[in-house]
Amino acid sequence: MACMNEDGQWIVLMGLLVAVGLFFLALIINQSALVGQTTAEGVLEFPKNDIRDLREAVFDYVDEFDHEEDTESKAVRDDIIAISLERKNAVVDFSVGDPEDISGRDLHPITIHYNNGVTEYHETVYY
Amino acid sequence: MSLDFLAGFTIFMLALIMVVSMVPGLLAGLQSSGIDYDAVAYRTGVILVEDPGWPVYPPWEMKAGAYKDEIERMGLAASKETPNILLSTKVDAFFNGTFFASEDYRSKAIFGDIPYSYNFSLRSEDGTYNNATGDPLPPGYGYGYIRRAVKIKEPGVAVINGSFAPQYTSSTANQEFIVRLNFSQLLDPERGPAYRIDPRTEPVSITITDFGAYRNMTLPTPENATLKNVTFWKMDPTVPMPRFTRIPFSYNTEDPDLYTLFIDGNQNNLVPDTEVSENISLVLKPAATSIFTLDQNSILEVRFNFEDDDYPHTNITGIHHYDYNTTNVTCPPLKPAVLEVAIW
Amino acid sequence: MVNDRGQLYTMEGVAAGVIMLLTAYIVVSTTSVYTAGDTHIPDMQLEQLGSDVLAMMDTPDTKGEVSDLEIFVSTNNETGFKNAFLGYCNAKAIGADNLHMSANVTYRHASSNEIRDYPLVEPDNTWTGRESAVRVTRWVELEGNPSGVSGMDPSRPRAVLVEVLLWRA
Repeated sequence: MACMNEDGQWIVLMGLLVAVGLFFLALIINQSALVGQTTAEGVLEFPKNDIRDLREAVFDYVDEFDHEEDTESKAVRDDIIAISLERKNAVVDFSVGDPEDISGRDLHPITIHYNNGVTEYHETVYY
Repeated sequence: MSLDFLAGFTIFMLALIMVVSMVPGLLAGLQSSGIDYDAVAYRTGVILVEDPGWPVYPPWEMKAGAYKDEIERMGLAASKETPNILLSTKVDAFFNGTFFASEDYRSKAIFGDIPYSYNFSLRSEDGTYNNATGDPLPPGYGYGYIRRAVKIKEPGVAVINGSFAPQYTSSTANQEFIVRLNFSQLLDPERGPAYRIDPRTEPVSITITDFGAYRNMTLPTPENATLKNVTFWKMDPTVPMPRFTRIPFSYNTEDPDLYTLFIDGNQNNLVPDTEVSENISLVLKPAATSIFTLDQNSILEVRFNFEDDDYPHTNITGIHHYDYNTTNVTCPPLKPAVLEVAIW
Repeated sequence: MVNDRGQLYTMEGVAAGVIMLLTAYIVVSTTSVYTAGDTHIPDMQLEQLGSDVLAMMDTPDTKGEVSDLEIFVSTNNETGFKNAFLGYCNAKAIGADNLHMSANVTYRHASSNEIRDYPLVEPDNTWTGRESAVRVTRWVELEGNPSGVSGMDPSRPRAVLVEVLLWRA
């Protein structure tokens, strides 16, 4: 051992240090990108506006058709389900029940289901 | 290899590892600040536009003076079911530069450990709202920003003009004119919060114009009539044998935080005993309504009592219903506006 | 005793490494690297604004009225929709923004069970196809078919999806 030439040691050592340094830097840059991505994507990917819009569309539907099932209301319901799947990539379903007496008001129980693969949303609301 | 080299190098490496492990925190803090501003601006925008604030009843905007600490959160929305519909009373309180200090905006609207600089501005399409608060924007794009499209809801006004005169004059009755607010009607859940008249959060405005049309036209024709007093009465129809009771209130103190009463343009208290020839304008602030201890079934009456010593100078009488009938109360249409939040 | 001349070299190497790290740190922290994550933020802002504007256009100013959005779609009013939308979008406290838009209406063709769309607002000449545009949507329920649109099945109450592409020129 003692006879070995150790002159090259520092080169190896320095190489190692630089490699470690670069690794850390890469990690940091990666993380900083992640910060911006997660905050903005958290907003973009959570379909708050879509769900609100869907709820209002369902309420409009109830305003228009009550809980009746006829060809016209069924067509509108099919519109919402089919267009959601095609254009919003979201599986949507909703149903409107017979009005019930909720503290003196006749309200329809509405169940809404929404799933776009990332976010799932289920709700029973009286309207 | 020498032992002292090994020992020294081990210590050195440990120190280096410590330093290096601290670097990411140092760097991340610097790198993400710009990104963080946008997130904070977004969050503040959501709080302002989609949240009515806390507490809700009585609303935070009524927590004046010493009660300011009770405000948890300043939101401008009319209710949480109506995002983007702002209430004008909340807007006025929020942009009231004398009432809130920058520390209040930071702790009740922005929320964050860092004392961010901010600039909030609200401008309506027609220019009636043009409010801003905070520091001037820094040059360039070095700040987080969000812009929200909103609509502003303004309180309704009951204008009783000359056209009501045939309905509200009678020479036989006593000269008492009543404006009645039926809370169970006003707060009917059928009516969404965006279009609701809620005296608990919005001022009630009663304006009697063209008072000449209500004058007693028998000779000698008087020039004016005397408004003796204005009193508030309430009734709870849910109790057995309901009847109106006079609400105890400091009627003879002028308090613009609770009400304003203008007679022919001059401010008065509620016991004016003053002659009126043109118009009467009463604005009852929600702060007053909240101390009346009313619930969603109460009926509130505002009674204008006219009395003259010699003979009745006016024939005004009757009950004006402050309700959703558009001839009785004018509800102004929602005003489109934009709210901008900048954080840096 | 081994030759310990290498120690000095090691220290030098470490020092050089630290200097390089420091240099890299200074370079990274002074020049702001426009990372992929940053591009999401303007998208988020635009999407939020667009959704807000559509929601507000769908909110009537007084109770009982039909919303502007429903009127524009049911009468197929291109200029009305465009002016209302852009007027709202570009409004700022000071000055105006420079946003542009196009809009499509998606409907279901019942007899063929296809999802079809027709343009409501054509893109203007700032549209090159390379903009990072965002898409915002809003459901509109119509009493009957919108006027002046050919190729729809017989008139019936229908739900259509208004899709707006929004970009900054």
